[in-house]
Parts: sequence; C-alpha cells; structure tokens
Amino acid sequence: MTGIKQVRLSGFGGQGVVLAGLLLGQAGVFDGKYISGSNSYGAQARGSGCKSEVIFSDGPVDFPHLTTADILVAMSQGAYDLYCQDVKKESGLILYDQGFVTPREDLRVKHLAIPATDVSIKRLKNKQAANIVFLGALIEVTHIVSPKAIRKAILVHVGERFQSLNLKALRVGMELGRKMDG
Amino acid sequence: MTRALEKYIRPGVKSTPFCPGCGHGILMGLILRAIDDLKMEMKKMLFVSGIGCAAWIPSPHYNGDTLHTLHGRAIAFATGAKLYNPDLCVMVVSGDGDLSSIGGNHLIHAARRNIDLKVICANNMIYGMTGGQVASTTPKGSRTSTTGEGNPYRPFDLCKLVEGAGATYVARFSVTQPILLIQSIKKAILHKGFSFIDVLSPCPTQYGRRNRLDRPDEMMKDLIRRCILEEEIEGLTEEERAEKIITGEFLS
Amino acid sequence: MPSKWVKTPFPKGRYYFSGNEAAAEGAIAAGCRFYAGYPITPSSELMERMAVRLQEVGGVFIQMEDEIASISAVIGASWAGAKAMTATSGPGFSLMQESIGYAAFTETPCVIIDVQRAGPCTGQATKVGSGDIMQAKWGSHGDYQVIALSPWSSQEMYDLTLRAFNLSETYRVPTMVMADEAIGHLRETIQIPSRVEIFDRMKRKGRAPFDSEEEDGVPPMPSFGEGERLAVTGSTHDGFGFRKTDDPQVHARLVSRINKKILNHRRTIIETEDYLIEDAEIALITYGFTARTSLYVVKRLRKEDWKIGMLRLKTLWPFPDEAVAQLGKRVRKILVPEMNLGQVAGEVRKYVPCDVHSLTQTNGEVIRPDVLIETLRRM
Repeated sequence: MTGIKQVRLSGFGGQGVVLAGLLLGQAGVFDGKYISGSNSYGAQARGSGCKSEVIFSDGPVDFPHLTTADILVAMSQGAYDLYCQDVKKESGLILYDQGFVTPREDLRVKHLAIPATDVSIKRLKNKQAANIVFLGALIEVTHIVSPKAIRKAILVHVGERFQSLNLKALRVGMELGRKMDG
Repeated sequence: MTRALEKYIRPGVKSTPFCPGCGHGILMGLILRAIDDLKMEMKKMLFVSGIGCAAWIPSPHYNGDTLHTLHGRAIAFATGAKLYNPDLCVMVVSGDGDLSSIGGNHLIHAARRNIDLKVICANNMIYGMTGGQVASTTPKGSRTSTTGEGNPYRPFDLCKLVEGAGATYVARFSVTQPILLIQSIKKAILHKGFSFIDVLSPCPTQYGRRNRLDRPDEMMKDLIRRCILEEEIEGLTEEERAEKIITGEFLS
Repeated sequence: MPSKWVKTPFPKGRYYFSGNEAAAEGAIAAGCRFYAGYPITPSSELMERMAVRLQEVGGVFIQMEDEIASISAVIGASWAGAKAMTATSGPGFSLMQESIGYAAFTETPCVIIDVQRAGPCTGQATKVGSGDIMQAKWGSHGDYQVIALSPWSSQEMYDLTLRAFNLSETYRVPTMVMADEAIGHLRETIQIPSRVEIFDRMKRKGRAPFDSEEEDGVPPMPSFGEGERLAVTGSTHDGFGFRKTDDPQVHARLVSRINKKILNHRRTIIETEDYLIEDAEIALITYGFTARTSLYVVKRLRKEDWKIGMLRLKTLWPFPDEAVAQLGKRVRKILVPEMNLGQVAGEVRKYVPCDVHSLTQTNGEVIRPDVLIETLRRM
C-alpha cells in the first residue's frame, strides 16, 4: 500500500466503534505508518451516532480528517445512509453488518456483507465483540495493517479480562474475511 | 504577661493597619504566643490569607512565608502548597466573608478532604474593609450598610458547617478569651488534619456603630458578657440562652 | 538562562497518542510534578492521564472542587517549589481568569492548557472552536502579559507543553497552550525523544524576588520553606513583597516590568513557521488545527500553479508582529482562516499594509479544505 488510505468506521455509541478505530490506528503505528485518527460522537455516551476515522500514510499527514473514504465500515443503517456516498467510486470498499444494514444498489462501490453481530452472538456468545470481528474481516480483505500489529494493539489497549475474547473475535473475523475473498 | 515576640514580626513592619478597638490586633498577638509556646520554626511556617482586614493579620507582618491571595481563595492556594510540600506547617488566617461566603466552597471541600491546614477565621460578622455590608455570618436583625432595616437572614454557624463537612478539630473562642484561644490555636497547630477555629473579633468601626455598641470597649464588654462555655448553658432560661454565644472546643 | 538535558521519564519511541495524552507526557517530561484540575470536556483525558502518571513519577495530583480552586492550588504549589499545571476548556478557562491575573502579577510560573471548544458559554461541549484566543491575552483585568502557544498536532501537544513549562519558568509568567478539541482528541503517530532540554526557575538567596535592576528583568524566585521568609501578594508590592497600595511609582514600575519582561524578549519567545512563501502572492496566516487544513490547501493549489504560501503562528501571545509585518510587505493578499469571528485577523491587520481577508467559522466544526479553497477562489 502506498500513499494515503482513509478509513471510516461507523455505527452507534456503545458498539465499540471508537475502540476499533484506536486498535486499527495503533496497529498502523506498529507497522511504521504515519497515522491520524479522530472520533466523533454526540454528548451522550451511548446510543447516538458515532464514527472513528483513521488515515494511513507513508509520510506526515497534512489534513488529519477524512477528505473522502477508501473504506467504510457501517455497523448500523443510520451510519451507512449517512456515509455511503463519501466512499470513492470504483476503488472504494464498504463493509456492512448484514444483520443491521440494507445496502443501496445504485452505488458503484464494492460491498461486502459481514454477519459480524450474528457471528459475534453465535460463536463468541457476546455481541459486544462485533467491532473486532469487523476489524478481522477488514484486515484480511485489505491487508491495511499486519495481523501481528493488530494483535499487539489489542494487548496494549484492551484490559486483560477481555483480551482473549478480542483475540478470538479477531480470528473469527479474519476467517469471515477469507471466505469473502475466496 | 509580656513576651519578646519581635522575632516573629517581619523586619520593616512598624505598625498594624487595624482600626482602634479592632479585635484582629489581639488575635495577631495570640497566634504568635501560641507559636512561641510551641517553639515553632517560623521558616517552616506558611501563612495564607485571602482579602479583607483579617487577611492582613499575617501578611506581611509575620516573619515566616506569607501568601496573600485573592478574595476567597486562600484555602485553595494553601491546599496546593501543603500537598506539594507536606513539611510546611500551613496556617490560613482570614475573615468570615472571605472564608465562608466567597470562599465557602473551598472551606467545605478542604474540611471534607481533612487536609492538614490550620484555618483561623477572624469573624467580625461583617464586611469591614469594604464598608460594613452584611455577611453570611451577620446575626439576624443586625443593621449593616446593606441591611438598614436589619438582616433578614440567618447567619452560618461556621463550626457546625465545617464539622458537618468533615473537619477534625473545631473550636470557637472570642478574642476576649485569650488564654483559651491560645490553647486552642496550639491544639490546632499540633492536630494532624483540618483544624478550624472560629474567632470572634469585634469590629466597632463597621458593626458596633450601626448596632448600638458605639465604643470599642462596649463591644468588648458585650462579647465578654455573651460568650459562654458549652457547660455553662445549663440552668439558663430559653431567653437568656438566645443571646449567648457558645464557645469551646466542639471537636478535638 | 541555564538549561539542562534530562532523560524523559517515558521510554523513547513512536506512540499513538491523542493530543491530550501527548500534552500530559510533555508536561511530565518538562518536570511537572503537580496537577490540580476539574473535569471538563474536551480536556478531561489530559487530567486522567496526569492522575496516573503523577502517581508513577512521585508527583502530586488532586481533583479540586472547581476550576478556580484548581488554578489557585497550582499557584500555591508553584510557590512551594513545584512545576505545576492545570488543563481546562472555555467555561473553566473563564473561571480561572482572576487567578491567572494573580499569577501574572506575582510572577508565578504555571502552565494552563485550554482545549478550546465551541463557545460562548456552555456552547457545544464536544465540538471544536477557537474562540478563546483573545481571552488568553485579555481575560483578566489590568495590564499584564502572558505567553500563549498554539499546537497543530499531537506531536506539538507534547513539544509545546514542554516548551510552555520552559518559558513559564524562564520568564516567571503564566503560559498557556491554546489547543482545541480537534487537536486534543486527534490521535497521531508521535515521537518521544530519549532526552529533553528543560529550564528551571532561577534561585538566589537574599535577592529581591519581585524586582530587578533591569526594567525588563526577571527576578529570582525562591520557594516556601527555604528560609527566605517570602511575602507574596496580589496587591501592588515592592521588591520584597511589601504591599504598596498608595505609591504611584511602585505601581507604575511593577506594571511596566511585568509587561516589558515579556515584550522585550519576544524575539526569543515567538516561534513561527513559513511554508512556500518565497514567491507567494497570496498567503494564509494560520494556527492550531486550521493550519493543517491550510497546509493541505496550499499544497493542493500549488499543483494548480497558484502562488500561495502560509505562515503558521506557533506562538499567539506575544503576537508575532515582526513575522506578520514582513509577510505583509511581500504578498498582495492575506487570508486568516479561523474557528472564531476573526480574533487573529484583527491582530494581523494592525501590522500589515496589504489586504487582509478573514475566513470565520463558528459552527462547531473544523474548517475543511473545500471551504478554504472556495474562499480563496472567490478572493
């Protein structure tokens, strides 16, 4: 990957969007990239719209917020509707939670349906891990960060109590991603 | 009893700034007597004050470190100094308006934290320096420059206030009870934790002349007559009790 | 002023820090060992990190009952010998102003980080703004000076917080880091060095702590408990701290010196950066987060053969008059984009003969490149 890649993770408060963005950016730093990451959310801690943006670059980033999106992860219909049109036509990629989002058919953007919440509940017995399932799928499909870096990021930023759950969610997500690729 | 207290006074200080009949000059001397009794090392003492007549009791007169701060903020400044250098003996000397009205929030929070400050409130029940306006400590019915018909509100009982907030040494004495007050200041200095002494100090200039206590000696006599110890309450009628001011150590 | 190089108390390396976290780490590196604060969005993460880090390095942390208490405790701790700081945002910054004036007048080193949000009043607590620039300079009553710096990245939250301590100690003046929500919350790759240069306040036994032979001198500053028997007061005072509330000469002399000690040293205090201004006909004068937008736009328009450059103000107060005046002589037009109603544009106009345009935005959002480009095209 050369130049700049702009990634937007989105959903509603409480889904772990901000943590996913933090882990993705941290992994990028471990991989030696210049990263700029920012979040946006309402004043309520839970339930309002939420996004986390990460820019990956080989050199210092000038404008540190997204100007367009190479990749969108949409964990809710509201987030999808709000941001799907910002994704680059042709080269862009949208990953959405197929349990929550009905995608539009008129966008010339590659879409991948990820059953993240469903898998999270069924295989991990915890729907709070859907964010990490998404990360796993994203990394497998795009190779935007190395698997080693994201695992290290989880160990640095996730409390000990939830590390094994998150590492497992990552593996499950990567499996889903492999199936998509195939 | 006269004592050589000059060594506790900053060189260059020639006189006090207080009005004739003000109780603050008496308090100024009593604090030094307590310090002298305990052989405190002045270079390890920090005196913090706010704004108002009482804030001038230590600043710049005492020959330790003095920190004369903003109106109401003495305790907050003192908290920072004490936390960073716990070896300092930090005493806050300030007025009732400064400590309990504009600075009331800092007072209760320092008490809650039980931080080791010795707070001496020179309580003249009025805003003296600014011209005799009503204070949060002015008795109900008293006349001030902003309550010509008499103060319609109840005053704070500062001892109950800080005790409720968590202070661990609480006392009230008048400057007309010098021996007891010196003992109390000594206890406050030796106490580890938040100590508070409500010191009644007459202000003939702003309070007395508006409340039929025109002469300084009348104010002194009035305090002597009204201040009683807790154990002396028994046997008093309800009416007699109402005009008394209960002094003593409430928590030690 | 003597300085020393010290090892940073955090392992050297590349980190993914938010601006608020980076500022806390810069403070610890500078030798900050006292923090008093009160929670307020969007600065709270800074306080939370200081709570953890000060415990680790053996400093003192306290959450006070309000912002007035916080800055007051900081000043008390500074006189007790600490390098001390607080952080806040608009409403808290307003509450602190009286004590900031006290720190300026008593020449107390302290650092205040204002992570600006969309004001006035409670405004939009989670949204960005840059409306406190004038307040930083003029927020307390009377004539005094402060130093205010403006970071544009997470890295500079570290670097400029460190520098804020150095300047504050050197000049005995309250020093502010005027961050904003977008920079405070921006996570970026930052480099923590193994060693940093730090400056400590000067101490000289027996010397007057509030006067200097030079009209713009910085007197030595002893601490409480050192036997100097300090008399510190926010009333007008002579060299040894005696109140002089009736003497016109003492007042004039003191007010003059606390202003001149900053203004006469502004060449060493002020830092600015030029980008592509050699042949520029249009220049942006910019600071804080908006400087990131500006750099992006300058590079983009250069590709379209625009002769455009920018001057970035890393120091806001004292105002970089000389750099601005020089730029004003070279270019035809200046545009000042900012997240307020033209606070810095007004300053710029004092020093330049050319056209000064102002792009103002107060909607709680950062100025985006397309908005800035559109403004430039219309000019």
